[in-house]
This record gives sequence, structure tokens and C-alpha cells, in this order.
Amino acid sequence: MKTLLEMSGISKSFDGFQAINNLSLQIGEPELRAVIGPNGAGKTTFMDIITGKTKPDEGYILFGDNNRSLLGMSESQIATLGIGRKFQKPTVFEGQSVRENLAMALKNPRGPFAVLLYRKTAEGAARLEQIADEINLTDHLTRPAGELSHGQKQWLEIGMLLAQSPRLLLVDEPAAGMTAQEREHTTDILKRAAETRAVIVVEHDMEFVRRLNCKVTVLHEGSVLAEGSLDHVTKNQTVIDVYLGRTDAGD
Amino acid sequence: MTETSRKSFIARNPSVLYFLALLGLFTAIVVVLSEATGAGLIPTSFVKTLGKTLCLCLIAIAMDVVWGYCGILSLGHFAFFGIGGYAIGMWLMYARTELIVLESLVGQVIPPTPQEVSDAIGNQIFGVVGSSEFPLIWFFADNLFIQLAFVVLVPGALALVFGWLAFRSRVTGVYLSILTQAMTLALALYLFQNDSGLRGNNGLSGLQNIPGFAASGQDVVSIVFFLASAAALGLGYLLFAWITDSKLGNIIQAIRDDESRVRFLGYHVESYKLFVFTVTAIVAGIAGALYYPQAGIINPAEIAPIASIYLAVWVAIGGRGRLYGAVIGAALVSLLSSWFTGGGAPAINLEFYEIQWVDWWLVLLGLTFVLVTLFAPNGIGGLIDKLVRKS
Repeated sequence: MKTLLEMSGISKSFDGFQAINNLSLQIGEPELRAVIGPNGAGKTTFMDIITGKTKPDEGYILFGDNNRSLLGMSESQIATLGIGRKFQKPTVFEGQSVRENLAMALKNPRGPFAVLLYRKTAEGAARLEQIADEINLTDHLTRPAGELSHGQKQWLEIGMLLAQSPRLLLVDEPAAGMTAQEREHTTDILKRAAETRAVIVVEHDMEFVRRLNCKVTVLHEGSVLAEGSLDHVTKNQTVIDVYLGRTDAGD
Repeated sequence: MTETSRKSFIARNPSVLYFLALLGLFTAIVVVLSEATGAGLIPTSFVKTLGKTLCLCLIAIAMDVVWGYCGILSLGHFAFFGIGGYAIGMWLMYARTELIVLESLVGQVIPPTPQEVSDAIGNQIFGVVGSSEFPLIWFFADNLFIQLAFVVLVPGALALVFGWLAFRSRVTGVYLSILTQAMTLALALYLFQNDSGLRGNNGLSGLQNIPGFAASGQDVVSIVFFLASAAALGLGYLLFAWITDSKLGNIIQAIRDDESRVRFLGYHVESYKLFVFTVTAIVAGIAGALYYPQAGIINPAEIAPIASIYLAVWVAIGGRGRLYGAVIGAALVSLLSSWFTGGGAPAINLEFYEIQWVDWWLVLLGLTFVLVTLFAPNGIGGLIDKLVRKS
């Protein structure tokens, strides 16, 4: 397993609030990784920094075989480089059909003129059908995305990620608001995706993380608190104090 | 592959065919009933009104693409319309004045030098602003083809530069609207100056007289421009239907709905906005170049900020996000507007007060706009869509 993404010494503060503090992290290819942490641990900022939405104050991020620095690249450049992101709230284009949503995400030239003159290819259509099958939406291709159930929208968004053929997938709380059955299918999709690429799942739900059965990184106050298997990190006393203990008390 | 992807462009967009058929039918009826070529039931002045309305429909579909499809509420597209009008107006005015001057100099014992002719033309055109010198921007005014190129190039270049600056800084929403208002206001204020080189608030006039066609009456000229406007509207409609039906149409609608999500899909949102802004500005310029020879006069008041706001109102009333909605809105509201404000609508006497429509039309339009926004957010086009779906 070679390293795909390397973050080192990343710090970011907003108006004095230290959201990310000297964070270092490596992801291999292929790898499935779960990132957990209490609210305010910096999970969203962590994703914002990788995808170029937020510029860090310090540190560097290298990606890919040539160790290209992601700092200074725009969101769309980073996305075309092979990093896809799924947001916490499913954001699909509700007015357009499932097929159109997937087609927009398909890996193709992204310039306005290429897109204007784009002609559908059999190859693209086959890829689209394959993704639709993977996310259980084959029967819904012509429906407007706005008509889908919450769980289906989540899948569609994961499908749009897959259609981009990224090397790294950032997935924010994919199981939120899903039924037990839907969660199981989501786990399968993510596990299968992680067979050939790097997938980072940010999740609150411990049950879901357990089912992913992968290496876990615990974030706290903007830096890595512990890393290892779920069993390993849940035995860590600091982790129990700052995170697990607190949720237990809350429950 | 499923059916949808194999269908042809027309099969996917039956409304294009209906629209072109209706436009063709309408054009034929007007030609048959006009004074020049037919029964004479439609007076020439009304043919001109209809021709101008077609031009307004053309800029309205451009507005619909930039606002209804791409979500950029531009309140400055009439600036491009006006620039198109000025570009063609310069040639019309120059060429016609030249003919008049040459005619008046015929029979002189000593033939006039080119400089004398040029001075005489300059005097004729710029006398009203106390000058006889040709400003630099009139350098090509004697060349129809260059001025025609300017109809496309100047609005396109302005939109490209303005859009590049605005979109690159990620100015969106109401801030962008204000910026476009500022652009059109600045242009209007500049043109109002006497030394702007375009005759200040006098504007360019006599544009209905086409040089070289003095022999043909206005009845013929009006039909020619009416047909040209109809053809431009038909072609513009086809162009925009094709653009919005393409994958680029999907992307710009996605930008309208969630711009940052589109960025994370790897699309450079700013290029798309710039493309749409510039293409629609060029079409607006062409619409203006066809409009003002029918109006006969163009002055800076035409591109005052309010004009572009009206444009947005037409599109909102007609229904955003559907091209025929923009056509309906522009045609209906602009024709009603000239009926109400042109004294066509009878005043209503309420004993204690007489409603003069010239004063009350704007109130009526404002009320309609509020009602449409509240009760039919998809405009008249949206109501039509609902009826079609039910039947």
C-alpha cells in the first residue's frame, strides 16, 4: 500500500479559534479509513482543507504519485486531480434527473466548450448504468433527484462521487438518517469502493464505523488523538475521556 | 441505452417546433395583412411595433438563459442591447448624412474636396452638441461591415471583461445584480455627456431611413426589418434551446442551484458563467441592432438602469427557466405597456377620480409582478406547463 495523501503539520485558526492544530495524517491507496471525533474536533475543516475550500495557515498536503502540493489549487482543480467529496447534507441537483446528476459527475473533459459539444457515448452510458446498479438506483434513472428518499439521495451522491472516478473519496456522515437496511447497503458500497481507491469516512455513529471494519483516526481539538483499529482506539483512556465517555454520559 | 438518449434534439424539445411554427405563422399573417405586401389591414407603425416586440423577445430569451437557467440576475443586459443599437446607428446616421451632403453639393462649380465633405457631414451630425469634429469612435462609421462586426464584438468584449472581473472575485447574488446596474448606469451617464462622441442626450436619430433605400417607403422597410427580427428571434431561440438542452445546460442549471457543489465536481464555475454572460450579451447586442432602426432613435435614456429591470420583470412574469415563458412575458408586457401608456387604453371615470393609464400603468405592472411572485412563481409559462401536464 503506497501513500496517496500526506498531510503534515497543518494548522488553521478562525478568528483566534484553533480549528486544526498541527495535524498530520497519511492515507494509502487503496485504503478505507474512518475519522471520528466529537463536535468541534475539526472534522469538517479537515475536509475543507483537503478539497481546497479552506486554505491552511501552516503545513503542507501532498497528493498522488508525483507528490503534488494541493495548497494554492482551486476546488475544481483539486476535484479534477482525483479527490471527490460527499457533503453531510445530501446535495444533489434536485431539479434534474438521476441520470443527469450522474452524467454531470462522469469523468469527462470539464471545459465549457467541450461540455457544450459533448455527445453521449456508449462507454459513458455503460459506466452510468454500472454505477446506478451499484447504488441501487437503476429503476430511478429518469426520476428527478428531488423525488428520491433521503437515503437514495445519499446513495446518488456517493454514486456521483464514484462517477468522477476519484482516487480519494471524502465521505461526510454517509449513514445519517438512514434505515438499518440502507446503512448496510451503504457499508457495502463504501467497502467495495475502497478496494481500488482511498476512502475517508467521517462518521459519528460507532455502530457504522464498527461495520466498516477499518483503521480509525480519532480527531480532537484539531489534531490526531489516536489511530488504529476501532478496538484499539476505544481502549485508549484519553479517547474514552474526551469522546466516548462524553457520549456515554450524554446517552 | 434508454430511449431518452437516442431521441433527436427536436423530439426531446417539442416546444421548439411549436414555437418556430407559431412564429412562422405569425410572421406570415403580418406580412399578408401589412400595407407593403398585402391587404393593408395592419398599419406600418404597428408593423414596426411588432418588429420591435420580436427584438425584445430575443433579448428576453437571452435574459432567461443568463438568469432563469444560470441563476445570474443580470440587471445590465440592456446596456448590451443599447450598444448594439448605437453601433448600427452610427453607420445609418453617417451614411445617410453623407448622401444628403453629397446631394446638396451637386452642381457646384468647384467639386468639393473630401475634407470639405467630411466637415459638412460632421457639422450635420455633431452640430447639436456644438462640434463638427468626428470623434475617434466614428473612425469606421462609413463601413457597414465593420459597424456590423461591432454589434457583436463590443457587447461581447464588454461582457467578457466585466464578467471576468466580477465572476473571478466570486461576486454573486444581489451584489452582482447591483454591479450590473452600476455598469449600465455608468454607461448611460457617460453617453449623456455631449463630448461622449455619440451626441449626448440627443442620441442618434433618423435611423428608420435606410441609406440607399430612400426610394422604398417605410412600409417596405418596416416589413424587411420585421422579417429580419423574426428570423433573428427564431435563430436565437434555436441557439438557446440547443445550449440549454446540451450537457452545458445541465451544468449551468446546477450552478444556479448549488454553485459550490459544481466546483467539487471539478467544473470551473467561473468559465461557465462567463460563457453564458458573454453569449447572451452578444445576442442582446444583435437584438438592439435590429430594434433601433425600427424605433428610429436611440438615446442614453434607453439604457438607463430601469430598462434592464423591466427586462427581469418580463422574464419573471413570463416564467423563468423556459424560453417560451420569456417570449410570452416580453411580448405581453411590452405590448400592453405601449397600449396603456400610448393612450390606447380608455381612461376609467370613477366620478371622484379619473384613472389615466399613463399614470397608473406602472402601478398595475408592479401589482402584477407582486402577484406573480406570490401566487405563480413560475410565471405564465409555469401555468401553461401545469395545464399541459394535466391534459
